[in-house]
Amino acid sequence: MTRPSPLPVAEGPYPPTEEMLNEPVSEQEQERGKAELRAAWKTPQGWRYISAVNNTEVGVWYALTAFGFMLLAGLLALAMRVQLAFPGMTFLDADRFNQFFTMHGSAMMFLFAVPMFEAISILLLPAFLGARDMPFPRLSAYGYWCFLIGGCFVMGSLLFDAGPKAGWFMYPPLATNEEGVGPDIWLLGLSFIEVASIAAAVELIVGALKCRPPGMRVNIMPLYAWYVMVVGGMILFAFPPLIAGDFLFELQRSFDWPFFDPERGGDPILWQHLFWIFGHPEVYIVFLPSIAIAAMIVPTVARRPIVGYSWIVLSAVGTGFLSFGLWVHHMFTTGLPQMSLAFFSAASEAVVIPTGIQLFAFIATLMVGRVRMSLPMLWIAGALAIFVAGGLTGVMLAIVPFNWQAHDTYFVVAHLHYTLFGGMVFPVIAGVYYFYPFFAKKLLSERLGRWSFWLIFTGFNVTFLPMHLTGLMGMPRRVFTYPESSGWGTLNLISTIGAFVVAAGFAVFVYDLLRPKSRQGQIPRNPWDAGTLDFSHDVPEEAWGVRSVPYITSRYPLWDQPKLVERMDAGRYYLPDAPDHQRETIVTSVIDAKPIYVQRVTGPAWITIWAAIFTGGAFIFPTFHIYKPAIVCGAFAIVCVLYWLWTSTARPPKDEMRAAGLGLRLPTYTSGPDAVGWWGMWITMLGDATAFASIVFGFFFYWTARPDFPPAGADHAIGTWVAAAALLGVLAWAATLLAREVNRRGNVMLARLALGLAPLSAAAAATAAWLAVRDLDPVSHVYPAILWALMVWLVVHLCAGIIMQCYCLAGSLFGKVTPRHDADLRNVTLYWHFVALKVLVTAALLGLVPGWLP
Amino acid sequence: MTEITENEDAHEFRSEAVSLWRITFGPLIWAVHFAACYGATALVCAKGGAVDGLRLGIGIGTVVALVAIVWLGWQAWRQWDLVRDRDWENDQGTGEDRHQFLGHAAFLLTVISFIGVSYVALPALLIGTCR
Repeated sequence: MTRPSPLPVAEGPYPPTEEMLNEPVSEQEQERGKAELRAAWKTPQGWRYISAVNNTEVGVWYALTAFGFMLLAGLLALAMRVQLAFPGMTFLDADRFNQFFTMHGSAMMFLFAVPMFEAISILLLPAFLGARDMPFPRLSAYGYWCFLIGGCFVMGSLLFDAGPKAGWFMYPPLATNEEGVGPDIWLLGLSFIEVASIAAAVELIVGALKCRPPGMRVNIMPLYAWYVMVVGGMILFAFPPLIAGDFLFELQRSFDWPFFDPERGGDPILWQHLFWIFGHPEVYIVFLPSIAIAAMIVPTVARRPIVGYSWIVLSAVGTGFLSFGLWVHHMFTTGLPQMSLAFFSAASEAVVIPTGIQLFAFIATLMVGRVRMSLPMLWIAGALAIFVAGGLTGVMLAIVPFNWQAHDTYFVVAHLHYTLFGGMVFPVIAGVYYFYPFFAKKLLSERLGRWSFWLIFTGFNVTFLPMHLTGLMGMPRRVFTYPESSGWGTLNLISTIGAFVVAAGFAVFVYDLLRPKSRQGQIPRNPWDAGTLDFSHDVPEEAWGVRSVPYITSRYPLWDQPKLVERMDAGRYYLPDAPDHQRETIVTSVIDAKPIYVQRVTGPAWITIWAAIFTGGAFIFPTFHIYKPAIVCGAFAIVCVLYWLWTSTARPPKDEMRAAGLGLRLPTYTSGPDAVGWWGMWITMLGDATAFASIVFGFFFYWTARPDFPPAGADHAIGTWVAAAALLGVLAWAATLLAREVNRRGNVMLARLALGLAPLSAAAAATAAWLAVRDLDPVSHVYPAILWALMVWLVVHLCAGIIMQCYCLAGSLFGKVTPRHDADLRNVTLYWHFVALKVLVTAALLGLVPGWLP
Repeated sequence: MTEITENEDAHEFRSEAVSLWRITFGPLIWAVHFAACYGATALVCAKGGAVDGLRLGIGIGTVVALVAIVWLGWQAWRQWDLVRDRDWENDQGTGEDRHQFLGHAAFLLTVISFIGVSYVALPALLIGTCR
């Protein structure tokens, strides 16, 4: 047995010299490269079009779907405004009104705001980075199909009068006791979409970190990429608490485990904590990527580089952190200790500083630049005005005594619409106008755009400015009607009229967006004279992303690197061809963007659609308490994902090296921290660990909040089984680690043996964990229920780990995993590091902590 | 022009890994301080305990956090190296500018973290009871 030779690394000259870049590319070479790239990146035609996974297709579908849901949610709002126009209206009854406001909020947040960020980023990020595609195109496509199915399911419930009606934050006990399937549709339908959001976050973070063009160090990457990284990180820490909350909530709805039932030791406040730990960062998750669009538009409009690049990075990162210290300001009236409330009040005031800094940076850029007032800038200006107003009422609401007065009134409704319209809707529309030439290769109408802007801007203020007053006069939100004697009639009528003006503005916008523009002819390539790589796009369209991946030395390469576009077009830079007709993109190092290897990128596939359909089944059937088909669907979904991974990821390559252009030779395979798959796993597991931490938080929350946790004389988990679970779980981890190490050293047989034993040990650990709590009755009290929940969480992760171990074993047997090509095994070991941690924490909570609690 | 060699790449990766994390150290101290203040208060107020002891503890924790942030800020300030080259933008595609940019961003983040920690400590200074 000999130690296998290490994988090759990049070799050849880097960075390229001016001489090398000046050398012309022969006509023949250019044509060959173009033809090969066209063949590799061909978009499927006809009905096969929906099997496309290219970011430019999926991004557009994603954005249009999210926009469609936004229009539907907007129609719901219009119906509500009609109902509230006059006192005592009977346009909607109370029940339907409840469904409408619940769905309006839920859809705007989960089906529009967050997916829109993902859509726009999937569409634009590769263009900003001069990459061919995202690192995991099929994952984007899978996320999109999950979103479409889940979104239609949740919205569709309204047609059957079965929508959720407890408000978009689903407070128990109202929502836990609600009749019908409404809350289940909300919980399972949106959990499904949350999973898709996390998938997108993983994709975008890895994209921003690893798929930048050579030379684009962190200090010169587009601000949009900084924002995407921050927002992706926030999604990883914000969505999992909600998923954990959904998990507990659905266990209560389906199996009557009393997590939020105070009579059996539960506490409804826990839901509020978990929801708002998600809910407040969510506001910034929506706001930051939209303001990132402003950060791209403002320098173009001002015709100079952004002022205070570092300050904006500070602002994005700082806001990302501070936004996690605000969640209790939604809970000021729940009777928490004054001092606790004040911490959150203080943090809420502190977050204003970084938020303000970026706005000042934009204004400074505009002041020192030579501004050309274009349509996108008009929308950005509107956004700044509206957002600042919303921010100021936010400062008011962060003050506890004022908040007590305004809580649950229309003042809050006005505030949140000012922040979301100013912080999200206006910048996104600005982005649509700005980037439309990029993704549609046409221009939108200047005249219609101005009409649309003034209608929406005026209508918005007419609708929501009076609401501050309506709220201060005492009108509570979410009431379906009000008496004439209240004196709120006139203000409400004004708001309703304004809402119709907004709707008219959107109608103009939609018409402009969708009207045929074939008479427009070919547009200029860079209509705004922008400085970033996105406007090096090909007109007319080519599916390859960039003709060749450039070498970047400036924040605004189109302004500062004069021959850049010409050289890109000629195929002077990296990856100018595709000899095997395979899709590829270049992967670079995290900070300095040195080329590391060439990543094979997956092409069109049906399997992602099947995986999404079956995943949908696994989430949708349980809504109606039908479990067997759900399990079958879940199994099929897993099979689909395994098939997709097996056939198209991390296969040992035919040629180990690839001439990447400019004399550089790059490996075509890598494993461990250099590989994008490893980063995907690491980032996913961070999110997963956060969800687990949220359940652990629940355990300690019950202990602090409830005197009867654990109840006197309660049965505990069986210590012997807990210890056995811990031991066997750690053993399974150790065997996986051993397999990785001996496989790397060339001892394949021992690695296979370890990979054979590891799943057995893991299965035994799962059984032991179950035996430890089997005799406890989770329905009786929250203490046994949370032990059960921890056990279920652990067992699910062990099962996933078993599948992965078997996958690696099969890989080893069939030549997919070899001593040199061990990416799968490395990623699975990384997964198992996290499982080992979960095993130990769960065992401590089940076996040790109850004895330690005073 | 340089050849990309294995050693150089590995070396680069190590130094990179440290500096990208470093810019978040300031906000991370804020996060730990915040969570500790909130957790300790919830515990003392729910389970009963000396509020004065809690306030003292928060005070000590705050001083420790602020000292750590100032130290980080000083490190970052030196990395930014403003005084020597007066470079506020660090916008060149060079290793030096990347290095100084990360110092600049980390420095600004320590400033905001200092403000955040000070704000969050104020309630313990101003409010004397749980109710």
